[in-house]
Amino acid sequence: MTCRKVRKLMPLFAGDDLRPGLAHAVRAHIDGCPVCRAELEGFRAALAEVKSAAKAEGVPEWGEGEWKALMARVASEARGTGSAPARAGAHAFVPRWAAASAVGAVIGLAILSVLFRGPSPRPEGTPAESGLVIASENPRQDRVSITMVSPETGLQVVWFLDKNFDYKGEQE
Amino acid sequence: MRMNETEKELIDMVLSGRTEAFEPLVTPYRGRLLALATRLTRNREEALEVAQEALLRAFRSLGRFDASRSFRNWLFQIAANEARDRYRKKWREQAAFKDAVDRVPAAADPEAGHDRRELRAAIMNSLAALGPREREVFVLRDLEELDIRETSRVLGCSAISVRVNLSTARRKLRDAIRRDLPHLEEKR
Repeated sequence: MTCRKVRKLMPLFAGDDLRPGLAHAVRAHIDGCPVCRAELEGFRAALAEVKSAAKAEGVPEWGEGEWKALMARVASEARGTGSAPARAGAHAFVPRWAAASAVGAVIGLAILSVLFRGPSPRPEGTPAESGLVIASENPRQDRVSITMVSPETGLQVVWFLDKNFDYKGEQE
Repeated sequence: MRMNETEKELIDMVLSGRTEAFEPLVTPYRGRLLALATRLTRNREEALEVAQEALLRAFRSLGRFDASRSFRNWLFQIAANEARDRYRKKWREQAAFKDAVDRVPAAADPEAGHDRRELRAAIMNSLAALGPREREVFVLRDLEELDIRETSRVLGCSAISVRVNLSTARRKLRDAIRRDLPHLEEKR
């Protein structure tokens, strides 16, 4: 392992946060490299300074009044709703990615429903109001065009897709 | 750190309507929760607000707590989210961190005879040099002494992300101490 690689890993090595295999390789290098050893000592000393300063700094205590007021607020909230917090199912927690996926699926369905609906009731020649325009006027929907308009530059790009959504070309 | 039986019983009591059980449930963590909030916000008043809001949120969400997790880490997660939300709000209002950065002292002069308290404050103010995520990771891993996996769970990110931010945070702190407090390095 090179000095450069060891320096990259040094912050994690200094706090014993490297995986065992990597830590072993770094240790082997440091044992034979006084420059990297000095660098490691610098890291460990800085970390120790911050930790000891944090310990010595102490942390504020709750004032008894503040604590009692908070607990009274909790109690009054329970009284206000007339119930304790409701128990959810054991796996009621929904991770953010699941919520995002659900939103994505809804948006996707909305787009597909727009693409597959019948001809637009909008009269011909009426200008579109949004940047995304489904411009097909063909009731059989054999071809679909999507027009994208940049609000900043006014540049328009039209994509043509067939009924299977295969890309068939574009036009500026 | 798994939840103990007493905590499970207290949670069941709260959920069954005996809300007075909430106080003994959270009292063991009140000090550490306020400590975490203080280290994340670097401001006593704001820390108190974060800790209070975190406990209120915990009460409201207790029914959704997953009993297979650590209750302490769940509280920490709520507090870290609250501190982050406040930071973002401040940032949007253009007040982001300016106070904290302004509080960082200029290069310390060893001849000025820093007493220990000032030195401590200077070291702790170097935390202001960290980005919000870096500070969260550093505080949880190095000051609250959670391991990498616990830290990633509290922050809702991957262990790799924790390692990357931790590495950057430690490097920045080492550089800040070397730059602003060079006499500490010389003492070694």
